[in-house]
Amino acid sequence: MVSDPGANANFYGRYSDGKTAAATDAELKLGSKGIEIKLPSQIMPLVWPYESLSTAEPISEYAIDALLSSTAAPGATLFATEGTFARRLAGKAPQLTAKAQRWKHARPWIAASALVCVIGLAISIFDLSPSHAIATLLPDKARAKLGSHVIASMTGERRVCDDARGLAALKRLTEKLSKASGSPASFQVTVVDWGLLNAFAVPGERIITTRKLIAKAEGPDEVAGVLAHEIGHGLEMHPETGIVRAIGLSAAIELMLGGSGGTLANIGAALAQLSYSRDAEREADDHALRLMKNAGIAPQGFAAFFKRMKKEEIDFGGDGTRKAIDMVSTHPNTDERIAKIDRQVAYPTKPSLSDEDWKALQGICGPAKPGSDEDSDGQDDATAPDPTPGRKDPSKKDAPGKDNKPVKPKPGRDI
Amino acid sequence: MFLGEHGLGNDPCNGLSFHFTIDRLNWAPIVRSKRSTMLDQDLTTPPKSMAERSALHMSWLQPPGLLALSATNFILRFLTLGIYSFWGKTEVRKRIWSAIRIEGEPLHYTGTGKELFLGFLVIFGLILLPITLTTFGLAMYFGPESPANTIFSLLMYPVIFILIGIGTYRAQRYRLTRTHWRGIRGGLVGSDLQYAWTYFWSALLLPATLGWIAPWRSTELQKILTRDMRFGDRAFTFTAKPGPLYGSFSVLWFATLFIVIAAISVLGFNADLPTFDPEGMAEGEKDPVKAIKFVALLYAVLMLAFFSYYVLSAWYRSKAINHFAAHTHFEGATFKSTVTGIGLVRVAVGNFLLNVLGWSIGLALFAILVTPVAMLAPDGTFASGAEGLKFAAITVGVLVLVASSGLFAPVIQSRTMRYLVQNLSIDGTVPLGDIAQGEAQKLTRGEGLAQAFDIDGF
Repeated sequence: MVSDPGANANFYGRYSDGKTAAATDAELKLGSKGIEIKLPSQIMPLVWPYESLSTAEPISEYAIDALLSSTAAPGATLFATEGTFARRLAGKAPQLTAKAQRWKHARPWIAASALVCVIGLAISIFDLSPSHAIATLLPDKARAKLGSHVIASMTGERRVCDDARGLAALKRLTEKLSKASGSPASFQVTVVDWGLLNAFAVPGERIITTRKLIAKAEGPDEVAGVLAHEIGHGLEMHPETGIVRAIGLSAAIELMLGGSGGTLANIGAALAQLSYSRDAEREADDHALRLMKNAGIAPQGFAAFFKRMKKEEIDFGGDGTRKAIDMVSTHPNTDERIAKIDRQVAYPTKPSLSDEDWKALQGICGPAKPGSDEDSDGQDDATAPDPTPGRKDPSKKDAPGKDNKPVKPKPGRDI
Repeated sequence: MFLGEHGLGNDPCNGLSFHFTIDRLNWAPIVRSKRSTMLDQDLTTPPKSMAERSALHMSWLQPPGLLALSATNFILRFLTLGIYSFWGKTEVRKRIWSAIRIEGEPLHYTGTGKELFLGFLVIFGLILLPITLTTFGLAMYFGPESPANTIFSLLMYPVIFILIGIGTYRAQRYRLTRTHWRGIRGGLVGSDLQYAWTYFWSALLLPATLGWIAPWRSTELQKILTRDMRFGDRAFTFTAKPGPLYGSFSVLWFATLFIVIAAISVLGFNADLPTFDPEGMAEGEKDPVKAIKFVALLYAVLMLAFFSYYVLSAWYRSKAINHFAAHTHFEGATFKSTVTGIGLVRVAVGNFLLNVLGWSIGLALFAILVTPVAMLAPDGTFASGAEGLKFAAITVGVLVLVASSGLFAPVIQSRTMRYLVQNLSIDGTVPLGDIAQGEAQKLTRGEGLAQAFDIDGF
């Protein structure tokens, strides 16, 4: 025969009526409208129209049999035991193939996902941030409360530095910067007796910095730069936004994974969050430069601080791994930041704190204790590009800010 | 032989012998359960020969194309931001159910992706989200270290424990109602709360009894599940007692004790004890080779201890599975399982390696996507285009990681099921013509809790 030799072939199957678990043999034929099922007990074959059929599993190219049911005979099943039958059936009822089934189920979600991507793209292009919008809706009281809890959990058992003269000096510096921001918000800085070199912006216009940061700073302008940067975060409500975003992202990932959890996805969420913070750091830097300009504070202290940070970064990771670290680090590339500060047009400046106030600020945590974590002091002395001969590191244990010359903005150093 | 006398027919007199058996074994709950027809066989006497068509031969017909299905599901999950997983999971189950043959005819999985999706969505909205938001809210309002937080999480422990019990039962119910054979559906007709309660209080006793309640507990839980189980209008019966499991359990228990003691003594003998106290730490650091050697030994001993424990517990689990099967009856037929500890370990090790391969592929794809962009990104500039590219690469990378979770699940699940089914048989015969369709259990969603708490691998 030339055309389709098996077109009218009979196939074998087992038919169950759905009333009991018994089965009978059946003779099957692929008719023009549907499957014709001939049962021994009946003279006329049953006809299950093709569009009424469903299969126990989608028919794939590997099909070796097919278990069928039909809306024409609810409850009844037909088990066709031949792969040829299944494949021919797929030709007559293409909606039963694996391809068609998958496409049918996935298509609406692919469309929805495309929409989500478009919205996401729009958010990033037009710089909309839903988390930021929600964060700005938080009442001031809630933000303040949140801030004090964050501070409590971060400082833990550590002592809050409270030397009266130091606090007064810190307050003067903070107020100067707050005023320069042109915003009604008044920021509050807490120094913690902590051997970690860092500063954090906290919800509710609060900032935490550490004893070590102040000890490592070589002048008040460096501290001013760091504080201005953190104030920038606060002005943009980054800490609040970050908390809202963390909640939202973890909920979204949970939903995407169908609740099945997944360490990999959590790593992913953390990475996604990091790339937000790099933009945030840039915004904070822009604010810092503006604040320092308005307050007449030289930005070179800020740059000097970065340069020493960079030095430590290289000591830590090595230049070879820098690019990889750069990709996932929370802060923009240090060179980038220094370059940006260097591009600032010069403006008239005066020291951010008087010599006396700077000394007081250095003593805010009291005299540095022996055996505390200023372990890299010696190395710091060796690496800091310090043109002032004979100046001692302010954090040296034996010289708690006594005979130190206050660090003035150093002309000719970075300009 | 008992069965041979009664034959296949639905002889009403057989009911007498059945009731006698029931009374003798004190199976009151089963007799009270709804029954339209009476059982016609003795449940304890293994039936010998029957008319051929009523013996139930179980087999496994390996489904082809599972690797291709793994890849397809991965791609569709990626394109749908992960949501397709519910439909992907459903297709995998359809393939695996179809691979299980009784008398050469496949089981039919009738669940849908939509039901799993809705099940998860409802639990997500009603339980997961409120718990998360309350936790955050309390931490925000009272502070992260306030007693309110501690009280809430302490309260949540028992709640989640009970929810896991309910989820286990409901997942079983969903799967059974969605499992058909020859058009007859399964079912689970008891109370989820009763199961969850037993699950909860007996778990509380685990530490108090140093684990010795475990065999009793698993028997009791299995009993509830089996006795509530239906095929059509017929119930399953369960006659297992925990007693026979205690022999193997004590071997497991004492061997575990021995492993723990052995591991501690090996480490104790090899450790330079002074290095443990803070004063000695500095001296330990002076000899890095020694320190590294000790850490290597620590890992080796821990791995060895864990693996021996794992093998032993698999051996115990195989005993329990076989014991439970041998005491599960349906219409006079009895199940028989021949799994072994080594067999279970082999399946688990293979599955673990497949999971490792899946994670590696996910991470490798992530690295392939993200690294070139990281290398291309110009240094020391503020080009916002490069930033956008980085962000896009990381986002796509995260989606790949999300989609790659459970990459080889189709292969893993079929390996597990194949092993269990190939070692399972049904002794005796069943009057198939008498088994009528059971009452439909109205379910429109499935397995929300089981998915939320990740109860099992299917």
